[in-house]
Amino acid sequence: MALLSMKNINKSFFGKMANNQVCFDLEPGEIHALLGENGAGKTTLMNILYGIYARDSGDILWKGQAVSFASPRAAIACHIGMVHQHFMLVPTLTVSQNITLGLREKGYPFPDRKALNAAITDVSEKYGLQIDVGAYISTLSVGEQQRVEIIKLLYRDAELLILDEPTAMLTPQETEYFFAVLRKLRADGHSVIIITHRIPEVMSITDRVTVLRDGYNVVTVKTCDFTEQELSQYMIGRQLHSIQREPIVPDAGSEGLVLEDVSLKENGMERLTSLSLQIAPGEIVGVAGVDGNGQKELVEVILGIRKHSQGKIKLGGLDMSAMSVLEHKKLGIGYISDDRQQDGLVMDMNLTDNMLLKTHTDPRFIDHGLINARLVREDTQKAVEDYAIKTPGLNTPLRYLSGGNQQKLILAREMAGDPKAIVALQPTRGLDIGATEFVQQQLLQHRVKGCSILLISADLEEVLLLSDRIVVIYKGRFMGIFPNTKELSLSHIGLMMAGRTSEARKESL
Amino acid sequence: MDSGVIALVTIYLIASVRMATPLILAGLGEAISEKAGIINIGVEAIMLSGAFFSFIVSFFTGNLLLGLLAGTAGGIMVSMIHGVLSIHCKADQTIAGLALNFMVMGLTSFLFLIVFGHATTLPSCGVFSEVKIPLLWRIPMIGPALFNQNLFVYIALISIVLTAIFFYKTEWGVNLLAVGEHPQAANSAGLNVFAVRYYACFVNGVLGGLGGASITLGQLGFFMENVTSGRGYIALVAVILGRRNPVGIFAASMVIGFSQALQFNLQTLGIPIPSQVFSMFPYVVAVIVLFLSIGKSRDPAALGIPYERNKR
Amino acid sequence: MKRFGKLLSFLGIAVLTLLITILLIRLVGSSVDQAFSSFLSGIFGSFYSVSEVMVKATPLILTGLGVAVGSRSGFINIGAEGQLYMGAIAVTCIAFWLNDLPAIVMIPLVILGGFVFGGVWSVIPGFLKARFGISEVITTLMFNYIAISIVGILVRTLLKDPSNSLPMSSFLPDSATLPVILSSTRLHAGFLVALISVVLVWLLVWKTPAGYEMRAVGLNPRACKCSGISVYKNIIRSSLISGGLAGIAGVCEVAGLHHKLLEGISPGYGYIAIIVALLGKNHPVGVVISALGIAALQVGSLGMQRAAGVPTSISSIIMGVVVLLILARKSIFRRLLTDE
Repeated sequence: MALLSMKNINKSFFGKMANNQVCFDLEPGEIHALLGENGAGKTTLMNILYGIYARDSGDILWKGQAVSFASPRAAIACHIGMVHQHFMLVPTLTVSQNITLGLREKGYPFPDRKALNAAITDVSEKYGLQIDVGAYISTLSVGEQQRVEIIKLLYRDAELLILDEPTAMLTPQETEYFFAVLRKLRADGHSVIIITHRIPEVMSITDRVTVLRDGYNVVTVKTCDFTEQELSQYMIGRQLHSIQREPIVPDAGSEGLVLEDVSLKENGMERLTSLSLQIAPGEIVGVAGVDGNGQKELVEVILGIRKHSQGKIKLGGLDMSAMSVLEHKKLGIGYISDDRQQDGLVMDMNLTDNMLLKTHTDPRFIDHGLINARLVREDTQKAVEDYAIKTPGLNTPLRYLSGGNQQKLILAREMAGDPKAIVALQPTRGLDIGATEFVQQQLLQHRVKGCSILLISADLEEVLLLSDRIVVIYKGRFMGIFPNTKELSLSHIGLMMAGRTSEARKESL
Repeated sequence: MDSGVIALVTIYLIASVRMATPLILAGLGEAISEKAGIINIGVEAIMLSGAFFSFIVSFFTGNLLLGLLAGTAGGIMVSMIHGVLSIHCKADQTIAGLALNFMVMGLTSFLFLIVFGHATTLPSCGVFSEVKIPLLWRIPMIGPALFNQNLFVYIALISIVLTAIFFYKTEWGVNLLAVGEHPQAANSAGLNVFAVRYYACFVNGVLGGLGGASITLGQLGFFMENVTSGRGYIALVAVILGRRNPVGIFAASMVIGFSQALQFNLQTLGIPIPSQVFSMFPYVVAVIVLFLSIGKSRDPAALGIPYERNKR
Repeated sequence: MKRFGKLLSFLGIAVLTLLITILLIRLVGSSVDQAFSSFLSGIFGSFYSVSEVMVKATPLILTGLGVAVGSRSGFINIGAEGQLYMGAIAVTCIAFWLNDLPAIVMIPLVILGGFVFGGVWSVIPGFLKARFGISEVITTLMFNYIAISIVGILVRTLLKDPSNSLPMSSFLPDSATLPVILSSTRLHAGFLVALISVVLVWLLVWKTPAGYEMRAVGLNPRACKCSGISVYKNIIRSSLISGGLAGIAGVCEVAGLHHKLLEGISPGYGYIAIIVALLGKNHPVGVVISALGIAALQVGSLGMQRAAGVPTSISSIIMGVVVLLILARKSIFRRLLTDE
């Protein structure tokens, strides 16, 4: 009998179906992957199970009993635990306090911390999850916080652990260590659901895999019966297309975007360490690396949002180190951020006002100190037409546009006036296939126009697809720069992303 | 020490404690509320409601204890309205608090006029008398100030201890902090964020209502329009000064109480320093403390932010 | 349909408020008919009463405008009351200090002085917020009490009129008083100052790049930072303007109405201003309408007290109730707003 079975689950947000008749089964003692692209509905499905969202319709059977959890508390009571992609830990509390949070232990509400700590240590040692129970969460690394989350579930006798993108922030070694823990858990009779879009991980750790696409479930199969290519077809629903790139014509007259020995120090921490790179006009340099290794810092330093502590950043031979963000943009840098809702747009403003984010000081739009509304509207209308932005009107707040159309507006704004350089951080994150291809095409078009493009993506495929050269970043350092050719060794890049330069070098010999 | 000086210090201490009592009570309540992430600038309304209902009930029943209970209920009522608005309706907490101040201020003086009309002499009820705590009250200076006082002072002192235990020694305190700091995490750990916040609002109402009642039934023995005269706002200052720490709030309230006691004395003595110099004092100190504590103390991360369960 | 539901929900609030008002009037034992007719005649009964509404509305428009400008950039200004008093101090000090200036120089000077005093009183909390992230709600509140105390001290010491035993200053020189613009009423040029401010603020906030920046900062500071718009600069700028407008309100009250500095020149205008801004949706035109509405409510309830014996505190109850209902609107009328 299945441990858990979810039948015909439906859930919509603002009229958009996030889960459409989704079914899911889990056997006791298996590691089961929930595989799908961003926005496929994996996390929504698990949040429904865990009592965070209420489903619109459908049934959930847990150990054969129909259940419907109104809150995580109810789910925990049935021994189901979930680790969210963004950790749910209170930074101002200790490890021990976080683990027992919400429980009614012996002596409640006067906890015997010593006894609790001993019990926690028992659990953590059993599965090799080392942790200092008295430390405050705010002092822990990402890997340690994940350990706390897992101990938290085990301490609550979770039989089923749901892990949302557990390896997103881990290095390959940490991932290996983490998988070892999962195998121990499985041997001990626990079941695990891993939400992921990384197929290699599915292959290496899971027993079965359920693939979701656009809110529908595609298939549930035994992992060992399928190859990576087959799974990726299920996940994406088509073959990956390859893009024909013309070789770049070096422009002797311009240096493009240049980083010379750039370092960033913040709060005593070295975030970026002496980065040097030159991106010629008409070149795309892709940055490969695991999330959180200095990618965001790198783009924000280039844009002047953060001030680098050492080195020079030049565009067309001009040193921009001392310039403000606005001056960077006026000089001709377009910026596509990974978090469009926070960094790129004002969600409660309409399309014209969002275009103004870049142009409100542009003399073209200003008459006698006042913004010329008519010109701005014309400019926005042109952007809507050129970039095929679907919107009810120019006065619609961005909040009501789809993610793809929001991103198109950012492209329209940042790519206006043929910038000399474009810095794109995860430009296709969370977009559907159509919007993703649109963004990629735009980047390639600007490459042809002679723009220096820095593309940063956690999606290695995207980097390989678009880049002329690839640089690997690890812990704020460039590990190596390679031309993107057919001979490029993927395992070589993978090792560098994990920070293992010596092994990578050995392999390349 | 000179016996005259001791007597003078004792008198000031007694007066300071009395002045501080409503602030301590209301301040502790507000601190609990803020730790859970609800900032209620309607403390004034809570206190005024407490003062009004405690007076009305003791006036008509002649029973001070019933009055005390009614004052508590009055405080709870106002605080829960704020709670429902900020937790259930996810409204702007600052504006809700401000609107309550207007409504309760109007309502209490409206009802008071209806009941008593424009009387030439203010109707009055009794006040709680001082109770000596055996032995302890004989301690020089501190004894008379802390242990020969009315019921409200004792409630305030006990509340300080209880709140401190609650914050730092119980799981409830941890829950409160979690809900105010990271409600999503608290929810995911199985806590009911809404319930914890409602509890906090409830306690805020109880303590604020008691604070208001302590003005009518502990100090004055009568009610008049706007009898709290801004003490609710001063309690907010005490919370900031005391950094939401029960002992800190006690200390801050004492400093404020002392400056108020001094202010009254100077007025009666006819010393030609405008009393405003002293009434301004706590605020100036609070601003200075804010400057000095820059970067040291921090508000709860979710203070003033409504929690939405089903948010995507 | 959605628009209709929204309209209906506001109508619901109006009906609820009306019912509560009737209930309160009944509680007093007055006739509802008489109360309402005296309320209306209190407002529209005479030329004078209508002018009184505008007199009351003047400080509300200015302070409400100030709060609205602050809100637009995310600066929650609870301190308009104190800023108003600082403006009042400014006009008094300048008028006595430079008492031989002609009115044509004096009037603009005191308005500027009030703007600067009120602005400075607001920029300090603005700076603390922008630079150190200290919540402006409590700091602006504390600054109210400090400002009011300073006025109390001044009218008893430096600025005290020696010939009067009460704590107040002497009358301002004529050159520093705002003229009455409608004879045999109290309506003074301050009302025009308020209306001019409305136009200027509208131009500034909705038509200039600076105003655009302030609005953007209020809605998403992070995106502004990434686009090179300084959050710090804009909070400072909007807090200065916010407090400055409240300061001008103080100037108008002293120079236009009282003609001297005394305690209690504001019966909480600075707090009502927050309601004015809320009801006016932080838009200059909305602010004018809601300020006139609240002023009418207060003037009308005076008439209601005279003729029907209903205490004036009913106006503050109604204000509180309306705001609370508006805050709860989406929950009360959920059916109406989310149907279909």
